[in-house]
Amino acid sequence: MSADVRDLVASREEAGAVMNMGARRRAKFNDTVATVVMSAASLLLVVVLFGVIFLLLRAGLPALSWSFLTTAGSFVNTGGGIGPQIFVSMYILVLSLLFTTPLGVGAAIYMAEYAKPGRLTTLIRFSTEALASVPSVVFGVFGAIVFLTTFHLGFSVLSGALTLTLLNLPLMVRLAEDSMRTVPESYREASLALGGTRWETIRKAVVPSAIPGIVTAMVLTGGRIIGETAPLILTTGTTISPNATYSLNPLQTGETLAVHVWVLKIVGVPGLQDAQKVANGAAAVLLLIVLLVNIGAAYFTGRLQKRLSGTVGAPRAGGRKKD
Amino acid sequence: MAQPAQAASNQGPALQVRTDPSQNAAVGAAQPQVEARHFNFFYGAFKALDDINMVAGEHQITALIGPSGCGKSTLLRAMNRMHDRTPGAHSEGQLLLNGQDINAVEDLVELRKRVGMIFQRPNPFPMSIFDNVAYGMQLGSQRVPQREIPDRVEQALHGAALWDEVKDKIRQSGLALSGGQQQRLCIARAIAVRPEVILMDEPASALDPISTYKIEELMFALEREFTIVIVTHNLQQAARVADQTVFLTMNPETRAGFVVEAGPTGDLFRRPKDQRTQDYITGRFG
Repeated sequence: MSADVRDLVASREEAGAVMNMGARRRAKFNDTVATVVMSAASLLLVVVLFGVIFLLLRAGLPALSWSFLTTAGSFVNTGGGIGPQIFVSMYILVLSLLFTTPLGVGAAIYMAEYAKPGRLTTLIRFSTEALASVPSVVFGVFGAIVFLTTFHLGFSVLSGALTLTLLNLPLMVRLAEDSMRTVPESYREASLALGGTRWETIRKAVVPSAIPGIVTAMVLTGGRIIGETAPLILTTGTTISPNATYSLNPLQTGETLAVHVWVLKIVGVPGLQDAQKVANGAAAVLLLIVLLVNIGAAYFTGRLQKRLSGTVGAPRAGGRKKD
Repeated sequence: MAQPAQAASNQGPALQVRTDPSQNAAVGAAQPQVEARHFNFFYGAFKALDDINMVAGEHQITALIGPSGCGKSTLLRAMNRMHDRTPGAHSEGQLLLNGQDINAVEDLVELRKRVGMIFQRPNPFPMSIFDNVAYGMQLGSQRVPQREIPDRVEQALHGAALWDEVKDKIRQSGLALSGGQQQRLCIARAIAVRPEVILMDEPASALDPISTYKIEELMFALEREFTIVIVTHNLQQAARVADQTVFLTMNPETRAGFVVEAGPTGDLFRRPKDQRTQDYITGRFG
C-alpha cells in the first residue's frame, strides 16, 4: 500500500468517524427533543386538569355550603341551593347505569365469548362503532321521538335515563368486551377442564376477572351521564316541579346539575336569586362529583386487583415498567 | 453400529430409571384406562397424529415423549376433548376411556369431570386459595354439598402436598404463591373433583428444579389413586417418574406424529428396540 493511499484511507476513516459522531450526536439530539416534546404533552394534560379544577373551584367554592347542597333554588331570598338538581343527577346516574351495565355486559359477553367471525358479527361491530360516534344531541332527538312520543313517557327522568342508556351502550359494550378479551385463555381452559360448562366458565371465571374493566367502563359512562346536557334537555326537561323535589317517581320531569348550569348560564331563570353564584357553585360541585367518582373507582378497582392477584394493582394507565 | 444398550450406557450421567415393582409390570398387567386404537387426529386438512396405538394403565404414570411438534400434546388434549374449541379439529379411530369412546361422549362436562388436566403454565384463578380448590366442586356437574367443601378443600391441599405451606393463608389470593406452589394448587384443584385420570401437559417445564422435584414426588403419591398421563420434554423426568413410556416422533414428510415405540420405561430407556428411540434418548436427535 503506497503512502498516499494509506493517507486517503486514513482520512476517509477519519471522515467516517466524524460523520458517525455527527450522526450519533444528531440521534441523541433527536432523542432529547422527542423526550421533551412527549413529556411536555403529558405535562400539559396535568396542567389543564389542575387549571380546570383551580379555576372552577375558585369561582364556585365561595358558594358552597351545606345548605347550598341541600336546599332548592330560591326566587325570594338569596342563598338558594342545588339540592334537587344533585338528587336528579344521582337518580338518573343510578337508573341509567342500572340499564346500561347488564345490557352492555351481556352484549360484551356475546361478542367476546360466543360471536364467531361472520356477517352478523361484522354488522354488530359496525353498528356499535357507528353508534359510538353519533352526536349526543341526535340521541336526544331520537329519545324524544321514541320515549316521549311513542311510549308516552313524557319529559321524565325515565326518558332521560333510557336515552342516556342508548348513548352509552356502545362505549360500555366496547370497554366490557375489551376487558373480557384480556382475561387469559388459561382461565377458560382451567374451568372447562374441571368440568365447567361454557356458561359457568363465563360466569365464574371470565366475568369476575373482567370486573375491574367493567367498573372502569361504568365510571366513564357515569361521567358522561353526569355531564351530559343536550339529550337530557330534550327528554328529561329543564324544570323540577316544586311539589316533587326528591321524588323517586321516574315519570317526573327533572333537571340535572349539568342542565342546571346550562340553563343558568345560557337561558337564565327570571327571578332566581344569586343565579351566577349558583351556576359557579353548581359547576364546582359537578366537577367534585366526577373527581370523587373517579377516585372512588380507582380505589375500588385497586383493592379488587389486590384481592384477586395478591399484588398491588397496576395503574390503569402508565408507562413501561423500568427493568 | 453400536448396540443400543452400549450406546445408552455411553452417555454422560446415566439416566436414573424407576425401579419400583410397578415399573416392570407388562403393559397388560395394569388395567388399561386410556387406550388409543388406530387413532388419527386432524387440524383441518393437516393430519397431526397418524395411527396412534397406546395404552395408559390404571394407577400408572404413562409418559408421552418425543421431539417438539410430534403431537404428544395434541394426543394428551384429545383425551379430555380440549380440542373441541379449536375450529376444524377432528379425529378418526378410537380413543377409549375405560373402553368407552371418548369422542362419542355427548356430555363433555361429565368426561372432563373424569379426566382432569394440569397445564404447562400454572393457571390458578385470580381468587383465594380456598376458592381455587373449591371451584370445581361448586360447579353444577359436581354438586358437592356446601358444608363438605371446606373438608374436601383441605383434603385436596393435603393430597397436593401444599396444605402445610398454605394453611394459614387459605383466604389469600392463589396468585401470590410461587410458581411451584401455584402448580400444586392447580393439582389440588384438579384432584378435588376426584377424577379418574389426570393429564399433565409438561407440568414442570415452567418451574425451577426444586419445585420440579416436589411435583415429581407428588406424582408418585397421586399414582396410587389416579391414572396419570404426562407429556414431558424432559427425558430424565420421564425416566424418573413414568411406569410406561410412549415415544412419538413425526414423519419428516407429512409432519404427522406417530408412535415409534412404547413400553415399560426401564426397557424403553435401557433397551430401546428402535434406532430412532435410541437416537432420541441419547440426544442425537430432537
